[in-house]
Amino acid sequence: MKKMITILLSLGLVLGLSSCTKKEISNEKVLNLAVSAKIKGMDPIYANDLYSSNEVARVYEGLLEYHYLKRPYTLVPNLAEALPTVSDDGMTYTFKIKQGVKFHDDKAFPNAKGRELTAEDFVYSIKRLADPKLQSLGWWLLDGKIKGLNEWRDKYADQPKVDYTEEVEGLKTVDRYTLQFTLAKPFPQFLYALAMPFTFAVAKEVVDHYGSEFINHPVGTGPFVLPEFKQTNMIVYTKNPTFRKKTFPAEASDEFKEMLADAGKQLPLVDKVVVNILVESQPRWLNFQKGKIDYIGIPKDNFDSAVIPGKGITDDLKAKGINLTVTPSLDVTYTAFNHDNKLFGNEKLRQAMSAAFDPYTANKLFYNDTALPAQSVVPPGIAGHIDGYKNPFIGPNVELAKKLLADAGFPEGKGLPEITYDCPSSTISRQIGEFFKQQMAKIGVNIKVVQNPWPELQKKIKNRTVMLYGIAWGADYPDAENFLQLLYGPNKSPGANGSGFNNEEFNKLFKTAAVLQDSPERTALYEKMNRIAAEKVPWIFGVHRQSYVLFHSWVKNYINADFNAGQAQYLNVDIKAKQEAIKKL
Amino acid sequence: MNIWVYVLRRLLYVIPILLGVCLIIFVLFNVVAGDPTHLLLGKHATAKQMAELRHELGLDRPWFFQYLDLVKSAFTFDFGRSWSTKQSITTMISEGALPSLTLTIPGFVLTTIFSVSLSLLVAFYRGSFFDRFSVFICVGLMSISSLAYILFGQWFFAYYLGWFEISGYDSEFPNWIPYVQLPVLIWIILSIGPDLRFFRTIMLDEVYQDYVRTARSKGLGEKVILFKHVLKNAMIPIITYVVIQIPFLILGALLIESFFGIPGLGGITLNAINSSDFPVIRAMTVLSAVAYIIFSVITDVLYTIVDPRVRLK
Amino acid sequence: MENAQVVTANMTQNKEQKSKSLWRHAFETLMKDKMAVAAIAIFIIYSIIALLTSVDIIAGDWAKEVGASYSPPSVENWFGTDIFGRSVVAKTLKGTQVAMSIGLFTATLSAIIGIILGSIAGYYGGKVDEIIVWFYTTFSSIPGIMLLVAITFILGKGLVAVYLALGLTSWVSLCRLIRGEVIRHKDREYVHAATAIGGGDFRKLFMHILPNVLHIVIINFSLQFQVAIKSEVILSYLGLGVQGRPSWGTMIDDAKLELARGVWWQLAAATFAMFVIVLSLNILGDALRDALDPKLKGK
Repeated sequence: MKKMITILLSLGLVLGLSSCTKKEISNEKVLNLAVSAKIKGMDPIYANDLYSSNEVARVYEGLLEYHYLKRPYTLVPNLAEALPTVSDDGMTYTFKIKQGVKFHDDKAFPNAKGRELTAEDFVYSIKRLADPKLQSLGWWLLDGKIKGLNEWRDKYADQPKVDYTEEVEGLKTVDRYTLQFTLAKPFPQFLYALAMPFTFAVAKEVVDHYGSEFINHPVGTGPFVLPEFKQTNMIVYTKNPTFRKKTFPAEASDEFKEMLADAGKQLPLVDKVVVNILVESQPRWLNFQKGKIDYIGIPKDNFDSAVIPGKGITDDLKAKGINLTVTPSLDVTYTAFNHDNKLFGNEKLRQAMSAAFDPYTANKLFYNDTALPAQSVVPPGIAGHIDGYKNPFIGPNVELAKKLLADAGFPEGKGLPEITYDCPSSTISRQIGEFFKQQMAKIGVNIKVVQNPWPELQKKIKNRTVMLYGIAWGADYPDAENFLQLLYGPNKSPGANGSGFNNEEFNKLFKTAAVLQDSPERTALYEKMNRIAAEKVPWIFGVHRQSYVLFHSWVKNYINADFNAGQAQYLNVDIKAKQEAIKKL
Repeated sequence: MNIWVYVLRRLLYVIPILLGVCLIIFVLFNVVAGDPTHLLLGKHATAKQMAELRHELGLDRPWFFQYLDLVKSAFTFDFGRSWSTKQSITTMISEGALPSLTLTIPGFVLTTIFSVSLSLLVAFYRGSFFDRFSVFICVGLMSISSLAYILFGQWFFAYYLGWFEISGYDSEFPNWIPYVQLPVLIWIILSIGPDLRFFRTIMLDEVYQDYVRTARSKGLGEKVILFKHVLKNAMIPIITYVVIQIPFLILGALLIESFFGIPGLGGITLNAINSSDFPVIRAMTVLSAVAYIIFSVITDVLYTIVDPRVRLK
Repeated sequence: MENAQVVTANMTQNKEQKSKSLWRHAFETLMKDKMAVAAIAIFIIYSIIALLTSVDIIAGDWAKEVGASYSPPSVENWFGTDIFGRSVVAKTLKGTQVAMSIGLFTATLSAIIGIILGSIAGYYGGKVDEIIVWFYTTFSSIPGIMLLVAITFILGKGLVAVYLALGLTSWVSLCRLIRGEVIRHKDREYVHAATAIGGGDFRKLFMHILPNVLHIVIINFSLQFQVAIKSEVILSYLGLGVQGRPSWGTMIDDAKLELARGVWWQLAAATFAMFVIVLSLNILGDALRDALDPKLKGK
């Protein structure tokens, strides 16, 4: 017995002692980030979720990027030398790409030295996106847009091997550094596509060398290097030693002027980026408060302890040197009707349910009263949103709802079947579902909430086996087209229009607008569509969210943005301030 | 009967069990998994693409061949690639096993040591207040949900008191120790209740055996009886109980790993469940079933070596 | 303890008398154990609450808002309110219904499967036995959580799916015990006697042998009951649990977001409610085991 106790004691000592060894903050500039979902892999063509595409963009780069310090969002050249020259008919785009840009050193290259990037790499990368054998998740972006690319894709779908050497008419190199795209039809959003990680440049040698393991061996031209990706909960990037000359921007919109202190400095500004994957919100929040994470979106339920409504951050956090930044997100939350279901062909019923729903209370409960109840589909901040417009069917207006419900043929909800509401399986989604049920009960509509794992929900939407489902949409690029396409009839599931809404007038307008460059004329069309979407109630509109991000005093240049994939290179860490501040935490 | 004949017979019996396990897994997961095309192709897939993919994955072949593939994977440990991450499942498992084991092995060893020694103590003081009190505490500990322990433990001990790391992991050897301390502690609290209760029952069973009476009548002290005789005899059921738990250690701890950011198999499984990633779920199920079968053979063989009477049955 | 052993000794002497005296004795032992009596009382109280909530006499208005969102415990709301301003006490009470029904149906289902398969295997022996043993060995090789996930995926969502999933995954231990007991009993004199007077297999199995192994079923039932209640939390965490009505599992799941902001009352209320019933069932299970079957302790 005594022996056993001694063993236990010594074990306890070992465990206890090791926890006392505290780590000192080194002089290396390290950025500590937290993300809330597992990272799937590092292949640009599979980066269809926010989290993976952020990671991909630390290593890989594209032709264009959004200016870090300018709003509204402005495209600027990244690997391109300048913005492209566009032919008069708007169908041919010619890019000059930067010379002397090197891929990361990797053993896939001769002598393990990264070779220079050429225009051919883009041709290869975009063909990879279209490769029928690879099942890329970003093909929709260019589907039907580039001349000859669809034909190339279809041709090799049935053949055992895909031939990358066969030339595609719309995707050509003029010389080593000149790249020419020819579109199949007008596509005003084309340049946005070139700033998305799907079209970032990969090197053929690396893909060939690693084969199916390429997904774990990212080799790009970007500011950070990751020798091998592993499915762990911590990803550590180091500064790319062979990064080209790229400096912090010297111009900024007014609100970001103070960040120009770093103007002209070579990027990236930090030596290391550590990405911590923390799925649960409790550890994420607790780690931030201890200074182990540099910035964090405020978890919904920690909101009250962090922010005083209307006043900003609480004194408690202020004393610790924590800052808050609030930015509207380009998104919309909604509850969609399945328009294939005969029941919802009844417009009055849709309007009634919309009028019964109280987005203001939802805002309070789920977004801490920081979001903006949506009137229609396009969020504020982009052309197509109508300032001051009030949708007549936005609740809470129980009286109107009851009247509309009676007009629809279901007085007091009589004659209505039980309506199912499908949502993802997270705790908040369940609570939102419960709230929706409560709201509908007020007018006698009986709702049953069904939770689904995310892929299951997608499958159900695609197979049209849902009645109602709660979901949200975030912009891929800053153009109302990205929102309006969700209601365009021909985009019906399996396309992006999951609800299956199909309105002739709307479709006609969309078709016209889709080929127009940004112009007052197009904005007018967008607004018209936005209004139809409001009054026909294809969805019950929720809110446009705002993101509240807290960051520690030592983090410099932090801006919250919808399209911030390459952000880490612009962020800076003040080591001295960190050493001071961390003592107070 | 020769021990080797017994071992051989026991090993042969593994085959029908393994086939059965594969059959159950196959039936269950093929009914639910149905169609992977959506997960693999994303939002914008066409019917043609789906058919191609199904062909490529072999999902259009007769079910018998698909079943054989599953059985084969149980031997080769080649489970293909994940649907959601496209990662090789074998690599995922081999990378995730170590972090899981750094959590579960210390937890398991410490729990066993604690509960065996405690069970000896309560057997010694059987029927006393101490005995009843420990049983009550054990049952009390067992009556709280594991999720509650994790939520509270992380918030109170790691954050509020700052005694432990909140979450995280480091794959280098001594560096992971601070990260697994609190998870191990929670593991111990979760499993000490059932263990202690079981061991106590075994000890008490032995205490009332005839040989104990004989020993006592010979005038041996209670302590000597307990340590020399009771413990020795109780070792057989204890070892059986302990060994059969080992395969489950590989699976890690679903909730603990996810909250404490330990990149182990538990977290991988949880993630797979949340994203309907059936090849991964299936692989984890096959893996743990195979481990379980192997260890039950080991237990049986150990048992017959210790207690040859069993073989005659 | 010592008394119980005497009863076992009697067993071999007189079957009929044994049966009666075992039950009577067990009852007396139970009643002497204050903890067990308290446990029974708590079980009864919970059952009554569950019944009353299911006919809406208690907590029928659990969905009503009684205060602001997340108001802390006060005189009116002992355990505060949840995100929608609903009373946590009412939700906890309503949750009793889900918990008790899960316990009841799951334990019943697993008992039925366990008894049928176990007794058939034990009684008939031979090929039948081999197949059933093969089946449950196979079944128990697969980790329970994986089976649970697969079954809930197949059955879809809802309370019935939870009953079935938990019931279908928890019968193996009982089946094993019953099989062993039936094998032990089937060559006893009283069974031979039944054969002599022309009893069929069915009659022998269910009229003569089963009553003698019933105590195992009862002990197992009380333990299975509490395991099921605890499992509901894990299912809720995975998003596979009960939907559209309060359960302790969803309350604890909510707490994973709330605790860091200081909202501890949902976690506390649900954990406490669960703690009391699970603890009682555990104590009851132990007491039943001591009273009914001194030989079977813990196996």
